[in-house]
Amino acid sequence: MMTLPAVEVLRPGSVAEAVELLRDKPGARVLAGGTDIVPNLKYGMYETQHLVALRGLSKELRYVREEDDFVKLGALCSIDQLSREASMLPALADACAQIAGPQLRRMGTLGGNLCLDTRCVYINQTYFWRSALGFCLKKDGTLCHVVKGGKRCVAAASNDTAPVLLALGASVRLVSPRGERILPLRDFYLQDGVHNTVLQSDELLVEVRVPVRARSLKQAFGKLRMRAAIDFPALNLAVALEVAQGAVKSVALCVSAIAARPALIRGLEDLAGRPADARVAEELARRAQKQCKPLTNIGVDPEWRREVLPVLVRRTVSRALQD
Amino acid sequence: MSVGKRFPKVDGASKADGSGIYADDISLPRMLHAKILRSPHANARIRRIDPSPALQVPGVVATLIGAEMPEKYGVIPWTHDEQALATDHVRFVGDEVACVAALDERTAEEALKLIEVEYEVLPAILTPEDALAHPEIKVNERAKVGNITKQVQLEFGPVDEALASAATIARQTYFYAGSTHTPIEPHCAVARVDADGNLTVWSSTQIPHYLQRELSRVLGLPQAKVRVIQPLLGGAFGGKSDPFSLEFCVAKLALKTGRPVKILFTREEVFYAHRGRHPMKMDVTVALDREGRISAVDNKILIDGGAYASFGLVTAYYAGQLLTGPYRFGTYRFDSKRMYTNKPPCGPKRGHGSVQPRFAFEVALDEAAEKLGIDPIEVRRRNFIGEFVETVNGQKITSNGFLKCLELVEEASGWRTRHGKLGPGRGLGVAGSMYITGTAYPVYPNEMPQSGVLVKLDRSGRVAIFSGASDIGQGVNTLLCQIAAEELGCDPRDVTIVAADTDLTPVDLGAYSSRVTFMVGLAAREACLKLAEKLRVAGGANFTEACQRAEAIEGAPLAAAGGYRTQKLGGDYRGGTIGASPAYSFTAHVAEVEVDEETGIWKVSKIWAAHDCGKALNPTLVEGQIEGSVYMGAAEAQMEEMVYDQRGLLFGPSLLDYRIPTSLDTPDLESFIVESNDPGGPYGAKEAGEGPLHPAIPAIANALHDACGIRIRELPFYPQRILKLLRERRDKERAA
Amino acid sequence: MRKTELIKLFVNGEEHSLAVPVQRTLLEALRYDLGLIGSKQGCDKGDCGACTVLARPRQGSGRGEPILSCITLAADAQDLAVTTIEGLAGPQGLDVVQRAFVDCGALQCGFCQPGMMLSARALLDNCPKPSLPQIKEALSGNLCRCTGYSQIYQAVQVAAGMRKPSARAPVQAERAAPSDSVAHPVKEIVP
Repeated sequence: MMTLPAVEVLRPGSVAEAVELLRDKPGARVLAGGTDIVPNLKYGMYETQHLVALRGLSKELRYVREEDDFVKLGALCSIDQLSREASMLPALADACAQIAGPQLRRMGTLGGNLCLDTRCVYINQTYFWRSALGFCLKKDGTLCHVVKGGKRCVAAASNDTAPVLLALGASVRLVSPRGERILPLRDFYLQDGVHNTVLQSDELLVEVRVPVRARSLKQAFGKLRMRAAIDFPALNLAVALEVAQGAVKSVALCVSAIAARPALIRGLEDLAGRPADARVAEELARRAQKQCKPLTNIGVDPEWRREVLPVLVRRTVSRALQD
Repeated sequence: MSVGKRFPKVDGASKADGSGIYADDISLPRMLHAKILRSPHANARIRRIDPSPALQVPGVVATLIGAEMPEKYGVIPWTHDEQALATDHVRFVGDEVACVAALDERTAEEALKLIEVEYEVLPAILTPEDALAHPEIKVNERAKVGNITKQVQLEFGPVDEALASAATIARQTYFYAGSTHTPIEPHCAVARVDADGNLTVWSSTQIPHYLQRELSRVLGLPQAKVRVIQPLLGGAFGGKSDPFSLEFCVAKLALKTGRPVKILFTREEVFYAHRGRHPMKMDVTVALDREGRISAVDNKILIDGGAYASFGLVTAYYAGQLLTGPYRFGTYRFDSKRMYTNKPPCGPKRGHGSVQPRFAFEVALDEAAEKLGIDPIEVRRRNFIGEFVETVNGQKITSNGFLKCLELVEEASGWRTRHGKLGPGRGLGVAGSMYITGTAYPVYPNEMPQSGVLVKLDRSGRVAIFSGASDIGQGVNTLLCQIAAEELGCDPRDVTIVAADTDLTPVDLGAYSSRVTFMVGLAAREACLKLAEKLRVAGGANFTEACQRAEAIEGAPLAAAGGYRTQKLGGDYRGGTIGASPAYSFTAHVAEVEVDEETGIWKVSKIWAAHDCGKALNPTLVEGQIEGSVYMGAAEAQMEEMVYDQRGLLFGPSLLDYRIPTSLDTPDLESFIVESNDPGGPYGAKEAGEGPLHPAIPAIANALHDACGIRIRELPFYPQRILKLLRERRDKERAA
Repeated sequence: MRKTELIKLFVNGEEHSLAVPVQRTLLEALRYDLGLIGSKQGCDKGDCGACTVLARPRQGSGRGEPILSCITLAADAQDLAVTTIEGLAGPQGLDVVQRAFVDCGALQCGFCQPGMMLSARALLDNCPKPSLPQIKEALSGNLCRCTGYSQIYQAVQVAAGMRKPSARAPVQAERAAPSDSVAHPVKEIVP
């Protein structure tokens, strides 16, 4: 059996206690559902000696409620719970229903999914495997095996909730011993595969806020995966359109599982006023393909992913417009 | 009447309540846990190795290196080319180098990192083509010529003449990717040495007897001092039918420390142990005469063997020898070459050696028939070889229910009204196959029975069966109970099975080549018949009373033995005995697929599979074997492949990256049992565990052709490959 | 020596106090400390479902939801009530799910099945008459390598009382059975 390195579980009873522990134990990491961090620990990807377990915060951080013009989602909502309870945001519920497999959806949390570490075929491997490879930029090495001569890690954001929440204009509430801040999700992610969020080491993502107006957006989530369960996305995307009298008022499209940061497709403002029809879907597909360049970081043929991307965008947009 | 009934598995309840003991469930007092250090290089000389720093770690009890047991071994006696731990040469990334035993797994794992190994890295050979081109780079010193494990060239009849006069010829190159068994249970072994020096090894093995022989040889212990016990086995599929490094390591460490030792492979290590499907490149020519009869088949096969021989000698033969049914070949020639390469060794995966050429041939046959305008099912019917006939290469076919199989899947799939008519993106495809029911000869030549069964009757009415056979999930223990009930008239639930324990049970050669039901079944029946006669003479109101009266007459405990003795079979030429089998099973599949022509994404919606197993001793078990086989074949077509990088590093040795189908990826399966009642088999039975896998892949490929006019010749049928073929088809249409 | 800690686990209705290495997973604690060997290890890291157990908060009710014990830390499982395959059977014998798996041939090697049966049990606890797509979805986190899943679906349907275990197509005889396997004298002894 693959064993875990010695790592101690700390069990705070409140958010305040949790962030203090994160501050006081250098290198400590957060343990929520454990579906990402535990395999990564077994692979020797972190030097962590302490895990701050959040199970004791479940009551505090497990809620779906509407308040102050926001749909507020507690960070410890399970993925499975959101697939059932987030029906007011159908694209989010749909994305959650398609994550991994049934057990992992019960264990995995919203906060954990948003903070999911980036993934790459050269990093999500055992210590032995990575040592045979000669390690890589993300951990223990100096070479990138995806981009020859690359200096910045291109491990891919592989969370399915992120593109949806980005397209819906969500923000996140982050708490640290120094206080709290609310950040638009679009400012949360960085283009750096080693650490792709602005989250500080003593900071905890406690809540996601989606503007209530997102409920009335035409929205859909699209995903490409090679196996129908127990798999990460080979591509995922979400679209949210504001449509009035058959015309597009605004549109947001986010594509991920490509690079370290989920990509909000740029320059879509000029689509306002266009009829919400197949041609706009076609146009969004064209632009997404132009702005996204799949790499070999995900073990699925990048050329093919590039070819399928516009089809997936077009179909997802069409689905959003149909509903 | 018990045989032929849907009798639940005798070990079902203990598997259902979690109490059944698998190898890793064994825990002994003072037991140590060991871990194996592996080579990070695909090809390297070991210049120096020093395990002593590992011994300094608190909790480490012993280390082990190759020099302590350098003797080479291998499942086939002619190709001993493996060492439990390499002494001087590592041949693939993951090859075993050293071992540490400690109080717990983590300590052993951390201590491994302290072992000092100096390597001289050599260029690695990663493809069979490279292996041919660079004979000067030796992957494995056992190869007499270059890097060839084994080459077989055989010709039956004037192939070139037949080709010259053919009405049509389909000639193409096919590539079958390597895949691996992926039993859900990782390999595990536990060893203990008692105070008298008797060694016991519990191992997740399909071949307790061969393992006992190899342990004895490598460790230098008399065979009588080595006991191998196979606990419940969590899946095997051929992946546990070689002796493996962990078994030698736990045994040696137990001898060294005087304490029990366990090794449980990680999932990653299971991938390095491998012995899975050989990648094969096949240049196949199929010629039909004007009536659509197969006049010639010519196959040039290049086999990627990996770093060690395993069953490779047999693989090179099987790749050619097992193709000659269920159709009559006018003439036949094959040239197969298994190459050593610096990758984990390939071996016998379910349908050993013959799944790959079967794919190529069945697709080629479709293509040739299409040129003559003959329906795919019709061409298969027209070429049916018949019953009780000899194949072109001298194998004796007995019963043959292939036509019935074809008829069933034709009917069930609505072939006549649906093939070619399902519209764009949907299609049906058919394929057939033949497989052996056990290989005629043991892997080491001897005159002793291949299977032995002892049956003891107690005066309480309890029956005990001692059988060397490995129940690997296929249900042989249940069949033994049914056979006892059938012949003795006892309740099948009053039978105790003692199985696969080399001290207690008679030898059985192992659960490989689909031999178990046939050979063990005959041995068991023989033993039971002897006792049944005594019971008949004794009489009595019920079974228990009959036992008591018979024992009184006997004046001794009631027991009898039965055996399966090797029959002389096979063609009269060098290699003619390989592929010879006392009976052959036959299968036909129809697959239905749906293709998304914009993305290349496709799925198998359904597979109808009909299999001639001779006689279903337990239809529920036979259906399970058919469905499990079809699933595994479809999986190879859909998604499975062992992919390596340019260093010889296996991409993603995990169940996340090496994708096997979930319930949502598996096609709907409908199985049909055909009973041809073989005169040689127990109650007419043949095999069901491997044959039904074969047609799945070509049936799917042929269905993809029906759905969208493409011929895919390379596995797996990745959507990107489908999309590329669709584009080529459209380009061609546009040009025309 | 390794750093250890004292933990309390609530499994199959019993509370256990254990001293374990700090990084003990729930699966290791179940298998190696509590002797509950029915939970299996197949992939090391949450990819196969063989280690599935049912869990709920201690103060809750019912058996709870399927989770993966190989990626759950034992120390983090102290607030959970866990049901393993050993906790499924009762004084009456096997649970209907277990019985149906035996009867339908769903257990071949049996290794993935404790996890599979627990996933099936959780499905039926929430949805007593599931459709086939619901069954497939609920079991999609449990890899089986033996069966091709068909007999497993049948077992779940049998456990749900939706079909009979032996409702299968009859065997197709190509030829009459050879005479030597039809009747045998010992059968006279059958009571």
